[in-house]
Formats: sequence, C-alpha cells, structure tokens
Amino acid sequence: MTFTRRTTLQWLATATALSLANRGAAAAAAPQATGAPPPFKVVDWPASIAPMPATKGYGRDPDLTAPKVPWPLTLTKPQRATVDMLGDMILPADAASPGAGTLGVGAFIDEWISAPYPQQQADRAKVIAGLTWLDAQSRVLHGDAFTAATAAQRATLLDVLTVEVPSPAMAQPVAFMDRLRNLFVLGFYSLPEGKADMGYIGDQPTEGPYPGPTPEAQAHFATLLASLKLSMPSSSRA
Amino acid sequence: MARSPKVAESAVDVVIVGSGAAGGMAAYTLTKAGVRCLILEAGRDYDPQAEVNMFAPESDAPLRGTGTPDKPFGYFDATVDGGWQVEGEPYTMTEGSDFRWWRPRMLGGRTNHWGRHVPRFGAYDFKPFSRDGLGVDWPIGYDDVAPFYDRVERMIGVNGGPIGLENHPDSPAGCLMPPPKPRVPEMLITAAAESLGIPVRAAHTAVLTRDMPDKVAPRSACFNATPCTRGCTIGAMFQTTTSLLPMAKATGKLRVVTDAMVSRVVMGARGRAAGVEYVDRKTGQRHQVTARAVVLAAGTGETTRLLLNSGEQGRGLANSSGELGRNLTDSTGASFSAFIPGLAGRPRYNEDGIGGQHIYIPFWLYEQQKRGELDFARGYHFEIGGRFGLPSSAALPRVWGKDLKQAVRNASGATIGLTLRGEMIPNKDTFCEIDPTVKDRFGIPVLRFAFRWSKHEVNQVAHGRRAAHSVFKRLNGTILDPDLPPEQIMTAGGEIIHELGTARMGADPKSSVVDSYGQTWDVDNVVLMDGATFASGPHKNPTLTILALALRASERLATRLSSGALA
Ligand SMILES: Cc1cc2nc3c(=O)[nH]c(=O)nc-3n(C[C@H](O)[C@H](O)[C@H](O)COP(=O)(O)OP(=O)(O)OC[C@H]3O[C@@H](n4cnc5c(N)ncnc54)[C@H](O)[C@@H]3O)c2cc1C
Ligand code: SF4
Repeated sequence: MTFTRRTTLQWLATATALSLANRGAAAAAAPQATGAPPPFKVVDWPASIAPMPATKGYGRDPDLTAPKVPWPLTLTKPQRATVDMLGDMILPADAASPGAGTLGVGAFIDEWISAPYPQQQADRAKVIAGLTWLDAQSRVLHGDAFTAATAAQRATLLDVLTVEVPSPAMAQPVAFMDRLRNLFVLGFYSLPEGKADMGYIGDQPTEGPYPGPTPEAQAHFATLLASLKLSMPSSSRA
Repeated sequence: MARSPKVAESAVDVVIVGSGAAGGMAAYTLTKAGVRCLILEAGRDYDPQAEVNMFAPESDAPLRGTGTPDKPFGYFDATVDGGWQVEGEPYTMTEGSDFRWWRPRMLGGRTNHWGRHVPRFGAYDFKPFSRDGLGVDWPIGYDDVAPFYDRVERMIGVNGGPIGLENHPDSPAGCLMPPPKPRVPEMLITAAAESLGIPVRAAHTAVLTRDMPDKVAPRSACFNATPCTRGCTIGAMFQTTTSLLPMAKATGKLRVVTDAMVSRVVMGARGRAAGVEYVDRKTGQRHQVTARAVVLAAGTGETTRLLLNSGEQGRGLANSSGELGRNLTDSTGASFSAFIPGLAGRPRYNEDGIGGQHIYIPFWLYEQQKRGELDFARGYHFEIGGRFGLPSSAALPRVWGKDLKQAVRNASGATIGLTLRGEMIPNKDTFCEIDPTVKDRFGIPVLRFAFRWSKHEVNQVAHGRRAAHSVFKRLNGTILDPDLPPEQIMTAGGEIIHELGTARMGADPKSSVVDSYGQTWDVDNVVLMDGATFASGPHKNPTLTILALALRASERLATRLSSGALA
C-alpha cells in the first residue's frame, strides 16, 4: 500500500476520510498470527470467491459538480443484510448517533467493494470471503447463518474477530474484520451524523482573518503544556 | 490523421508552450510589455469558476472522495485528464528505477491543485557547490533573484511571517500578507520542537488573507473553509486560471489554444527556431505556428522531452553540452505521525483556517552541517499536520461497538503529523531520455526515466525521522508510522512532484543548457522558463522560484524583442 495522497497536503492525511482509505490497511492489517486460538474449531477460509462483472470507473475527467457512482452495487441481499447487521454492531446506536447499519453505511460498503479499482477489488476479495467465512463459522457453531444467531452468539464471534493478537487460523478472519471495521469508520464518520458524533465543527466559511482556537481550547492547551512542562510558544501569544 | 502542416492564423511574437506557473507568468509579463503571445496548452480548457465543487462534502463523491487510479488525489481534486498516468501518453523507466510523473492536462496546469507552500530559496541554495563541493552553483545568487521574489509575492498573494534563520531570507516589508493564527496541534508542535532547539515559523503560503482587488481578476481573501486542492472559485489561492491568465487576456495580446500538444520546436534560418509544431489532441491534426521566439514552459519533463524530440535525431535541440535530460532531481519525502494522548477529547472548535498548514519547521542544522557533523549534505523541512476530523485507522485500537465509537471521538484531533521534504543532490544515475521504441498516441516519442537516491538522501530521511520522533516523544506520543528502514519509507522518485534540473542553467555553455535567463546557449530565441532550468533542487518547494525566474526571463525576453535583437 503506497501513500498515494500527496503529502504536502498531509494535514488531510491526519485528519480526513482519505487517510483511512489510503493508510488503513498498512497499519491495521497483517495481524501478528501468534496468539491463542478461540475455544472452537476455526472453519477454513474460503478458497475463492465469485468474480465480479466487468464495470467502468468514473474516468479521469468526471463532472465534479454532479458526482455520480457509475458502477452497479453487487452485494447479494443476504450479504447486504449481514453487512448492515455488522454495521449496527461495529458502530452501534447511542445517545450521540444512530447505528452505522441503520444509517445506511452498508450501501457505502457495497459501493466500495463493487468499484472496479485495484484497492477496492482487493477489499472485495477480503470482505466477500469474510462474509462467507462468518456464515460458515456461525453454522458450525450455532447451526444457522450469522444473521440468525442470537445477539450473544454474534457478539462472541465479533470478539474473536477483534482479538489483539490472533492465532494463525484467525489471521485472515481478523484481517477481514479490520478492513470492514475501517471501512465502516470511513463510511460513518464522513456523513453529517458521524461528524456530529465526533463534535466536528468546520466546513463553514468564516469571513475575515481566521479566529484561531476558542478560549476554552486555549485553556485546555495551556493546561496540557503545563502537564508536559513545556513553555508557551511565542507565536501563539500573538 | 491529416499530416499536412498548417500555419496558424494571426501573427504572434512569442509562442508559449504550457499555461501553468511558468507559462502563466510568461504570458502575463510579456503581454503587459506589449508582446503578442500565443499559448499552446496540451490540456483542455478549464474554468475553476464553473467546474470546482467547493462545498460538497466528501460523502457526496464516489467512495467518499477517496483517491483512485482515475483521480489519485481524491475525487474532487482539480486534476483534469491526468495524474500519475495520462491516457495514451505513457512514459517508461529503466530497469530498477521507480519514478512517478504527475501530469495534468488542463489550462493552468498544476497550479489548479498544488500545495501552495512557497518558501524562498536562500543564498546557500544558489551556491551549493561552493558550500560543500557537490553538484554545481547557479550562475546567479540570491541577490539577483530577491527583487523578483518581492514582486512575485505581491503579485500572486502570499501570506507568512518573518523567519530570521540562516539561509531562510525574509521578505521586505510590504511583500507578505499577515499569516493566519496557528491551531492547537500546531502550537503544541511548536512548544515541543522549540524545547528541543528546533525552530518553528509561520509558513509562506500562496493564499490571500486579505482581498486583492483588480479590475479584471479580483481575488478575495480566503474564507477559511473548503479543501484548496479542489481549486478556489473566489481566487484566494493562487492559480493562473483565476489570476495571471485572465489578466494577460485582458491586454488583448494573448491568444490561447487548448488541446494543443506541442511535439517539437521547428528550426528556421540562422540557427534560430521558426516556431513549433503541435498536434490537436481532439482531431490528431498537425499544425505549425511561427513566432519570433519560443518559450518552453511545459513543466520540467515535457520541456525536456520537447527539446530532445527536436533538432538533431538522437541528440535533440540545444544539447551541445550533452546535459539535456541529466541532473534530474525530486525532493525527498517521508511522513511521520503520532497519537498524542494529551490531545484526546480536547475541546472542539473550528480548526479549518486557510487550507493547509499555518506553520512549518524550516531546516535548522546549517551550522552542524558546515562543521561536518551530519552524515548528509543539504537540508530538509517539515510540513505540519494535525486537525479535527476522522483519525487514521493506525490511531484506533482493534475494538468494536461502543468502545470503537469512543475511540474515534478520542482520537479525532489527537494525531499529529510531520512530513519531510528534503533536497536531493543530482547524481549520474538519475536522468531522463527518449525511449528508443515507445511512442504516445500522437506518435511522439516518450520519455524514459532513470532514478536513484544516493546515501545523502537516505541518511537525510533517517535523520528526519529521528528528529520527528523526538518531537513526538516529547509530547508522550505513540508513534504510528511503521518501523521500516529509511529506504522503505521514502517516497518514490517524482512522487513529491518537484522534478527539476534536466536543462540546467549555468555560466558555461559546455556544462549547461541555458543561461540565467533561461535562454538556450545554442538557439538564442528558445527560452526555457520552468523547473528544467534549475541548477539544483533545494528542499524548498520550487514554484515561487519558478515564478520569479519566469518573470525575470520574460522581462529580459521582452527587452530583447523590443530592441530588435530577435528581428
Ligand atoms: C498536488 C501537488 C502539490 C504541489 N505542492 C506544491 C507546493 O506546495 N509548493 C510548490 O512550490 N510546488 C508544489 N507543487 C509543484 C507545482 O505545482 C509545480 O512546481 C508547478 O506547477 C510547475 O509549474 P510549470 O509551469 O513548470 O508546470 P505546470 O504547472 O505543470 O504547467 C505545465 C503546463 O504545460 C502543459 N503541457 C505539457 N506538455 C505540453 C506540450 N507538449 N504542449 C503543450 N502544453 C504542454 C501542461 O498541460 C500544463 O498545463 C505541487 C504539485 C502538485 C501536483
Ligand atoms: S481554504 Fe481558502 S484558499 Fe483554499 S479553497 Fe477555500 S477559500 Fe480558497
């Protein structure tokens, strides 16, 4: 995975959606497969997945004032139902925002894995295989598809998919969940509801010179400096 | 494909190839001096006012605006018809080389989506050989360029503050607009860096922080929102399409032909160029235009390709020195980031400010370098990042459910980044040449690149990483970048998009392609105005210097034209 985004614009890379898409896998995938195995027999990772029909991207010169997704969505109904359910588990509803599945982020996952670009196709292989694995594992453990399992059974599965140090047999399932989780985070927090959840304030034209941090933010900064035993930089006193 | 050459309609004095930073400045300066100009631009016509979607959230775009091979810097990025690849216009590499060549195909070139960081080169940057015996000196020094820096800063609109450091010249009063206030992560980096003896200063950025009135192309102060890489319909960031080009057109002396891919310089009598040949990118038809002088401003690579494809087969035009295509450099690049626990959950406020960094870290180790205490020659700087928004996944633990939501809230605004840009010294293994077999879809032979970093660049990046990490550690940060050897964290050649040097200027025709005014030694009416002429590629981003040298070269050319020197 290369850092394709121009890093002169690196403020973006530490701050926006693009960073997650571009840097996510590098840091979060490739889990160290040395940990303890889960208390059940892990089913085999699917050997292959169905190929995707050939589609077109948006091209090098799309109309930027009327953005459109030109490719069709390709998740099957049951796959989409599983993804939506996973969305509401990975990022559940709470006082601050709705669940990611309910909010429709599953459609974004579908858009992503159906896109004809190399990164998205690699993710498709991971996600489709992962969904297949999840159902197979659920059937072995609970006799039914993941969506039909009880909440507690599903939670147990998600726990083993997010262990800090996976066992060798769990390396691919955990890498799948890493990727899916990161895609949900990207899809969810780039929506207005997700931005509101993070308390994001911005995207508002402000006339005149940039006002800088609020008094509250300044006060927090001063406290932080003191705790780090650093002195106030001269430039910020202006 | 019709091949019969056709002469263009109305007479022009100068034909300018390219409409980016260099071509835009040439057109502006020459037309203001009364010279009749024709711009030939390979890309399509482009109007930021009509085409930029400034306010749309990334969630309106396919894949949340994520970069793809079609739009590498994101869906809304203003690059038209290009990127790392251009349809039907390939380039090749020698075995073992990794080189990326960024090309837009649009009016205004890369100024429509560039990063706008515009430091001045300093005295050492123009005389690197004199300082450390590597590379070559420029035939001019800082004092020759300073007045042009002053004028360009006022002309394009640059904000910033004094720097007051060795080899970082300050602008005289009246050149710069006031810089924006720093944000919290920037102030925090400043405090940590300063405690370690690393200076931090206001960045110089080509973004207006005050209105810039003009009858033809009025530009407004930045309203502190919206990503600049999409382009700026209010003209706050400098792009030739909202400033120099409309101003030049208003003189009545400029004609612009877009979709005009210049294939070669055509020679006339007395060793002078007669004009150029171009291919209409839409029809494939070939045309010729004649002019008293030819300005090449197609960007370093394309300008070099044009010369190599002109003149003598196999040797190219203006290449009696044999230096054409050699001395290619790009800036070094590497990115470092950390999660800072003390910033987690900090009070929210609007952190948009002007697009991009408000402050940066200039190179500060010239004394140590002079004393031979560093294992690399030449400098680097850090560009600074860190803002509220979606944290990188590296900053998120492997959890799900309410823990994940909480982790995102915590990490939003709690990661900071330092991005290194460093000087590369020209080496004999890094150059471009014409590929002997591959041609583009117009039948024009393509460029082949050879690229290699030397020990200087590798050691420099390793040093930069230690410095960046020392700042992060001072803030109790968790380092997020992977622990790999410097060779593996460095960007590929060309990836920083500061390609320079392939038709370098000098005092001696035997070892350089052009004089300090960009005039080729061999053909006195062919003038180069882009980064190809740079004698070295300092760590400071090049475009302010491209603009200053293009202004200087254009005024000289206008004088020569009016004095009858090129009759
Ligand atoms: C994402 C990004 C960020 C950047 N950030 C910074 C920064 O922060 N600071 C900085 O100083 N620099 C930055 N740069 C670099 C900067 O954009 C370039 O240095 C500058 O634009 C070069 O100007 P130019 O006129 O030489 O080339 P360009 O601006 O590329 O213009 C050349 C023009 O010539 C046209 N052309 C090419 N070949 C032909 C042909 N054969 N016939 C006719 N026309 C032709 C092209 O279509 C193009 O329009 C950045 C670049 C990018 C892409
Ligand atoms: S941030 Fe300012 S300069 Fe950049 S695009 Fe927006 S208004 Fe223009």
